[in-house]
Amino acid sequence: MKKIGIVNYSLGNVGSVASALSFYGQDIRLIDSASGLADVDAIVLAGVGNFKTAVDKINALKLREAIHEQVIEKKKPVLGVCLGMQLFADSSTEGGDIPGFGWIEGKVEQIEGEDLRLPHIGWNDIVPVGSELFDGMRGRTFYFMHSYHFRPVDPSVVIATTRYHDAELVSAVKKDNIVGVQFHPEKSQGDGLRFLRNFLESINRA
Amino acid sequence: MSTNTLKAPATKTRGLPTKRIIPLFLLKGERLAKGTNFCDFTDVGDPVSQGMVFDAQGAEEIAIVDITASSENRLIPSAVINSMITKCKLPIAAGGGIKTVDDARECFHAGADKIIINTFAVLTPQLVSDMAAEFGSQSVLVSLDVKRNEKGDYRAYVCSGTREVETPLLELIEMLVDRGAGELMVTSIDREGTLSGLDLELYELLRDRVSVPLIASGGAGSYDHLVNLFKTTDCDAVALGKMLFLRDYDIVRIKSYLLGRHVTVREA
Repeated sequence: MKKIGIVNYSLGNVGSVASALSFYGQDIRLIDSASGLADVDAIVLAGVGNFKTAVDKINALKLREAIHEQVIEKKKPVLGVCLGMQLFADSSTEGGDIPGFGWIEGKVEQIEGEDLRLPHIGWNDIVPVGSELFDGMRGRTFYFMHSYHFRPVDPSVVIATTRYHDAELVSAVKKDNIVGVQFHPEKSQGDGLRFLRNFLESINRA
Repeated sequence: MSTNTLKAPATKTRGLPTKRIIPLFLLKGERLAKGTNFCDFTDVGDPVSQGMVFDAQGAEEIAIVDITASSENRLIPSAVINSMITKCKLPIAAGGGIKTVDDARECFHAGADKIIINTFAVLTPQLVSDMAAEFGSQSVLVSLDVKRNEKGDYRAYVCSGTREVETPLLELIEMLVDRGAGELMVTSIDREGTLSGLDLELYELLRDRVSVPLIASGGAGSYDHLVNLFKTTDCDAVALGKMLFLRDYDIVRIKSYLLGRHVTVREA
């Protein structure tokens, strides 16, 4: 069975993500070292909170290079959730002008639009763009909680969008071995579990 | 309109999140309790098993507040948050006794998705700024208990509804949102636990003035109370207590009723 390592850098939802992924009996580990990363077959970057705080924490754990190596050189599958997906970007304006991993070209910026209520909190629909990661779901409604969003330069990496008032948000991205979602599958009941199952199946097949 | 935001094609749905139904858990010791106007509590079950029930029924979120934590000068127990998080697949907001950034961090480490602060947000607003900077606004839910005075003005109360706050309510809310409160839950003390209907006037007043998501709480007792709330005030969410715990309602039927009245709720 493939081993999944959840990078334990963040404040919050690491435990929820671990418990949701364990639902399908996968081998799940919490990782906070480079050797731990080398030992798993796929990596999850979860997390809510402030972009700068997250980057600082990853740097403090001295994991930045190790994560980058596993994802870019070893081509291990990676799933980014919420802030975890935002870390794929070149940079974020949250907390200054903070560099991310730069795996997917684009910036993270505050959501803007007319009459917006920010943060964007609640259950909202996603519209998939031809990815099997969203197969087999009932409503495709997921839980969001964020004020910043990732704006990739290359539209072909977008695998789902979400409309919030008059703004169209990128709710999921995929580029080679890199998958990211802005919503919280671990908090999204049936459809969330199904998304995680689809992700696990894509890894286990490989 | 900013050029920063992609315009969506006009053919798509309205793009608004669905209205949220949030069971409100009041933790007293190890058990859940429910009272009337903040008094006269009855035992309404175990937090984890109730959490699993409402998760299965398709609640959007659960808010749990330890109602004796502040007065006993302690924090909501991490163990309760943690067992709920591992058993439930929905967002959980937790509060009770949070008075420092470290307290909040402890709740997040236990798995809370948001923290709820009430008394200490009002007494030390700097706390809201510090928490928003550390954890992001989306994880900071400020809860306010509100009562109408003899002049008919709404005033916030802290310390479980026992101490009136001098600052006018709208001014207080504006200040807390400026400092980074990402969401507001406003409870009508007069209506709480009465099942007599939500204070629509209060939420109408607030909804137009508050730029963050607003959760109405206190007084929900029938399907039509909820329809009226969402139709007249456009609140983002409603917190339910007695209606779910001590009356014959469940979230599945509530949502069917709301959908039938064209309130956009999520079909789970």
